[in-house]
Amino acid sequence: MVSAKVTVINPMGLHMRPAQLFIKEVTPFGCDVTIRFNGKDINGKSIMNLMAACIKQGSEIEIQCSGENEQECLKAAVALVEAGLGE
Amino acid sequence: MRITDLLSRDRILLGQTVADKAEAIDRMVELQAKSGNIRDKEAYKKAILAREEMSSTAVEAGIAVPHAKSETVAAPSLCAMTLKNGIDYGAVDGPSDLFFMIAAPMDGDLHLEILSHLMVLLMNPQFLTELRQAKDEKEFLSIIDRYETEKYGPAPKTEPKQGGYRILAVTACPTGIAHTYMAAEALEKAGKELGISIKVETNGSGGVKNKLTQKEIEQADGIIIAADKNVETARFAGKKVLFVPVSDGIHKANQLIETIEKGNVPVYQHQNTKEEEVLAVGEQKESFGRQIYKHLMNGVSHMLPFVIGGGILIAIAFLLDDYSIDPSNFGMNTPLASFFKMVGGVAFDFMLPVLAGYIAYSIADRPGLAVGFVGGYLAKVGNSFTNITGEGAISGGFLAALLAGFVAGYLVLGIKKLADKLPESMEGIKPVLIYPLFGVLFIGIIMYAINPAMAAINTSIVNLLNSMGGSSKILLGCIVAGMMSIDMGGPFNKAAYVFGTASIASGNYDVMAAVMIGGMIPPLAVALATTFFKKKFTEEERKSGVANYIMGLCFITEGVIPYAAADPLRVIPSCVLGSAVAGGLSMMFGCTLRAPHGGIFVFPVVGNVLGYLIALAAGSLVGMLMLGLLKKNLPQK
Repeated sequence: MVSAKVTVINPMGLHMRPAQLFIKEVTPFGCDVTIRFNGKDINGKSIMNLMAACIKQGSEIEIQCSGENEQECLKAAVALVEAGLGE
Repeated sequence: MRITDLLSRDRILLGQTVADKAEAIDRMVELQAKSGNIRDKEAYKKAILAREEMSSTAVEAGIAVPHAKSETVAAPSLCAMTLKNGIDYGAVDGPSDLFFMIAAPMDGDLHLEILSHLMVLLMNPQFLTELRQAKDEKEFLSIIDRYETEKYGPAPKTEPKQGGYRILAVTACPTGIAHTYMAAEALEKAGKELGISIKVETNGSGGVKNKLTQKEIEQADGIIIAADKNVETARFAGKKVLFVPVSDGIHKANQLIETIEKGNVPVYQHQNTKEEEVLAVGEQKESFGRQIYKHLMNGVSHMLPFVIGGGILIAIAFLLDDYSIDPSNFGMNTPLASFFKMVGGVAFDFMLPVLAGYIAYSIADRPGLAVGFVGGYLAKVGNSFTNITGEGAISGGFLAALLAGFVAGYLVLGIKKLADKLPESMEGIKPVLIYPLFGVLFIGIIMYAINPAMAAINTSIVNLLNSMGGSSKILLGCIVAGMMSIDMGGPFNKAAYVFGTASIASGNYDVMAAVMIGGMIPPLAVALATTFFKKKFTEEERKSGVANYIMGLCFITEGVIPYAAADPLRVIPSCVLGSAVAGGLSMMFGCTLRAPHGGIFVFPVVGNVLGYLIALAAGSLVGMLMLGLLKKNLPQK
């Protein structure tokens, strides 16, 4: 398992659209993705879980990837969040 | 905010069948529009489709959440739909059969808050199972309520838990009957919807209700003042204050609350001398025209009780009196009639001084009151330099008093400015000696000088009205009655009404008859329409229709405002037409009315009451038929 901490910079936080983008990005890699936020573990591939977590702008999250291609997956995920998830 | 507050039973459809995503969206947009909060269905639909273009709003587990914010959305709203058989909505894991569609106004990102709020609930598989198995809309809604309460606790009230109210508001309209309370209701409703605690103080005709305390003001994020007349503003110094017209309080309540919460509102700086208690005008970008309107309305709203109380008593005097005893002294022939006429007369006599006094008060605060009062009184008696003792003086009438009020106000402002040059030590004697003495002196001189001119104007208007031939009178009747309907309590309505009461003062009673009938028609027409054209009105509208019978008969035009607001292009022209017909007929039959208010209760004092009743019936029928003609049948469930 590999992990990295990153801050969400989107003005409206991790709402539906950026969440969908995130899932689209990480799914092809095949590994499990977990987001650790505020002490809770959230399934990083479930749109409902991500939206329900209410991750606002400025929140620090820890992305954990475990399984196939976990390194590449983490790299891509971190890059996407740092780039603002398309917003 | 709670899902159950935004979702109502008539916006839930269960067990539906649709062919594809497009049809599903179509059906939901229709459903959403039932809330009455979507001004332009097509524009909203476009926004929904645009969002779908970006990426499908289908999530997992058969759920989809189409959403859009749009300029055409007046207030946030939710609708829900379940399908018998799921359709392909673009989800990665299969068909979708449970939909929640969200509409949010352009300001802010309410739709995202609603979305995440929904998601939290939808994560629970048991919740989804129960929803899908709900037998009817009522059960659907109660399931949501149950899970929401479990998760978030019982519904928040708009009372503060601790730390006071987040937002305060003051509403005030010149007549203080309807708009004040409608704006208060709209603001409270908006606060509840947005989950923001709000307290609203109303400055209505019955005085100040629900007054804001100093502590509440200190703890509030901001204050909304939705007023068309001046309200006490010194207490808000240093807080964020948003000044808007009363109608914004009624129609844009959600936006106002969101604007103030966002904080882009200037901090109110209060400017005034230390002694005075205040009625300062709001600083923000108020056009001169609007300021004049506010001063005028201040005068009118204080004057009206005198006119109405006095006028009706006078009318009763004529009703009770015996004409035959002495025609030239009609109204005072019997002791009983005399009583009514004298008391009514005293009240009525205050009309012009009070009007001028409170116009001046609005302009120049307390120092203006005395000066305006004196100016108004001098306008009433019409003294001038040609008859200094007052003998043979002709009243300058309503116009003179109006002018006196404004002149007095600005005169006092001028004196205040000059007096600013005096040393600090004389600050105390300014309101006590300087303003009253010089104010009254100068207004006396001014009124004596201009009264003859005003008297001439007044007389010529009265003569004009008297000399008007039949057809022009009928036209006048149509116009003033129609004006009563155009804005139901707004400036046109007020102007026509004041013209009517001023005409009573100068002896032209037919104008008032046309004016009152013009104001009675809209509620009656609407009430009739809701009774005979049931299919064209919502259940809520039909219920309030009954109340409108009473309001129409009591000359309370404002009862029609919700109908006019919901469908102005159809309701207003129908009412205007009905009123104009009634007003014209009233003039044609020569109906007169010397009471300035009272609706059906003063019909006994109406001249040619039979003709008046015919005019009332005719106008109401015309209004009802127009409404029936123009309004479309609502889609049946």
